[in-house]
Amino acid sequence: MERLPAFENHARILMTPRILIIDDEDDIRQVAAMSLETVAGWDVLLASSGKQGIERASTEQPDAILLDVMMPEMDGPTTLLKLKANGSTSHIPVLLLTAKVQGPDQKKFAEMGVAAILFKPFDPLTLARQISAALGWKDGG
Amino acid sequence: MADDPLTHKNENGHSADPQSQEQKLQTMISALWERSRHTVVERAALLRTAGELLVDNRLDQATQRHAVDSAHKLAGVLGTFGLPRGTDLAREAEELFGQSMPPSKPEIERLQVLLAELTHLIDLGPVGAR
Repeated sequence: MERLPAFENHARILMTPRILIIDDEDDIRQVAAMSLETVAGWDVLLASSGKQGIERASTEQPDAILLDVMMPEMDGPTTLLKLKANGSTSHIPVLLLTAKVQGPDQKKFAEMGVAAILFKPFDPLTLARQISAALGWKDGG
Repeated sequence: MADDPLTHKNENGHSADPQSQEQKLQTMISALWERSRHTVVERAALLRTAGELLVDNRLDQATQRHAVDSAHKLAGVLGTFGLPRGTDLAREAEELFGQSMPPSKPEIERLQVLLAELTHLIDLGPVGAR
């Protein structure tokens, strides 16, 4: 089915966004979840590995995915490629969360179809606003 | 969006008072810091051990990789918990441990100084958690 971005953005204002956070670090997952739930009132889904994240994305159909870059076994870029290759998840915007700041990495990620790159450490008070701005959502909490 | 006059919550169910949101979030993050502290302390301890091995010229590749990984994780999390200086120090440690050439004597001395400062910062904890 063809998707209409303008309609989706309008719908986003009316519905509570659901965000899937994929990160192997417990403390990062928890602080990001607290931030998005408390500041913006969003619904948050969690996954501690790329494999688990792909499964949750496929079954739960979140509105966006916040994906860590450095993870054991399946790293962020590999997870991103699998999400984009899967028909049931390819439409979900993915934001990479990385502590790496080098330019070549950013260029590579952009070419892989990532919606935005957010940097660690993030500010828990403004994380929802950063995500909203990156995705063109109007309600950033 | 209209706020509920009794609860001050908006239609999404979250508090509309930004100061209240900030305080609530800060309290939650402070509690999370206390729960996560042991992991942070362990990572800093691993960096100090790797630093001591480096001084003695006994740092093996596996420990070096663990040190780079630990420094990277600390860099990613300390600022979020309210320790931005800790993120800067951990990034510097990641760079020094991760370089392909063995660090020079001044670099090793710098590493020792920055690891001592990092340990001190972690011991103190974020302002909100003290």
